[in-house]
Amino acid sequence: MAGELESSKSLSGLLSGLAQSTFHGHPGITEELLRSQLYPEVPPEEFRPFLEKMRGLLKSIASADMDFNQLEAFLTAQTKKQGGITADQAAVISKFWKNHKTKIKESLINQSRWENSLKAMNWRVDLKSQSKHLDQINAPVAIVELELGKSGQESECLCLEFDEVKLNQILKKLTEVEDSINTLTNPA
Amino acid sequence: MSAAGTVAGRGLKAAAPYLPPAGDGQGSRGSFLGPRPPAAVEAMARQLRGLDRDLFRQLLKVVVSALQGEDCREATRRLVNSSPLSEAQLGVLVAGMYALLREALRLPASALKPDVFREDLQQLQVPDEFVADFANVVFGSRRPDLDGVAREQGARLPTVEDFRWRVDVAISTSSLARSLQPSILMQLKLSDGKAHRFEVPVAKFQELRYNVALILKEMNDLEKRCILKIQD
Repeated sequence: MAGELESSKSLSGLLSGLAQSTFHGHPGITEELLRSQLYPEVPPEEFRPFLEKMRGLLKSIASADMDFNQLEAFLTAQTKKQGGITADQAAVISKFWKNHKTKIKESLINQSRWENSLKAMNWRVDLKSQSKHLDQINAPVAIVELELGKSGQESECLCLEFDEVKLNQILKKLTEVEDSINTLTNPA
Repeated sequence: MSAAGTVAGRGLKAAAPYLPPAGDGQGSRGSFLGPRPPAAVEAMARQLRGLDRDLFRQLLKVVVSALQGEDCREATRRLVNSSPLSEAQLGVLVAGMYALLREALRLPASALKPDVFREDLQQLQVPDEFVADFANVVFGSRRPDLDGVAREQGARLPTVEDFRWRVDVAISTSSLARSLQPSILMQLKLSDGKAHRFEVPVAKFQELRYNVALILKEMNDLEKRCILKIQD
């Protein structure tokens, strides 16, 4: 049993499964599935506290978005704690976090995003030539399609038309936005 | 109707006076109204003969405001009530004047020369005083406004009328103790009256800005090349 719970391959799989169900919103990954696939020899009453311990650790690490030093300190403390984890388990967790940190953080940020968000954009530049009321227009025009939607839901497409003047105005505003983000992220 | 019929008959007997004899230099140019003027214009031209100039100017005013996209039902009704002409006669005049000006304004000012315009109207046997009034509309100071309205009336997708933004930084959320992640909230008000509000993650924002700049560059390149400009 002890050997089972210490196997690094199984633990790595377990952490992936936990990340899928806890952070990436995959409801199909149940406790029973994880046990039968990764720890078939371990009885359910022993598996449950082990799973909860690992889930708790992963949540703490993710919620604090730990960097490498914080993680080292955190895991060392866990190995010394009564009922904590072994050094081998700590190594597996450390490796797992290094590989999945970015994706997990992204998922967590998305969990607190409720508005429609911009998913993709497509565009095309046309040359307007003629219309019912004008024989020669000959002005370039941009057709822009914005894909807006909430995560996990069908998105809608917003189709817009821009002439050069309008596009210049928009670009100017976007530059203002960028300046504003830059002052926030790189304070002088 | 019967009056219009007899007038049309007379027009035919006169061997279509607006069609110059073949081989003539004028003939190869062709009228700005096309090889055969619209029926509404021909009918109007016939009714113009002997029309009171004041009434003509009132009608022209109504037609021009219609071209500018204004509602002129009330003004038209007043004209019908006060004029000695029947509603049907006035209808022929208004429809023809509208069609004539619409066609003339459709051509860019550079493509339709004032003397060509005047000649074409003379071919239609429009009295000279009215020709001058028509020319005033097409080549006068109101032309830029009329062109602007025509541009507005073209088939088009909605455009952005108002663009507002806000940069938010999430400090802490139910899933992240210290998120500190900026995101942009954008609100677009469109010309069709609808408004859209959406969030733009920073990575997507960079993509958006890059693409807008790229579109502008493509448009500039297109204008420089001018390969597609079709002008006569």
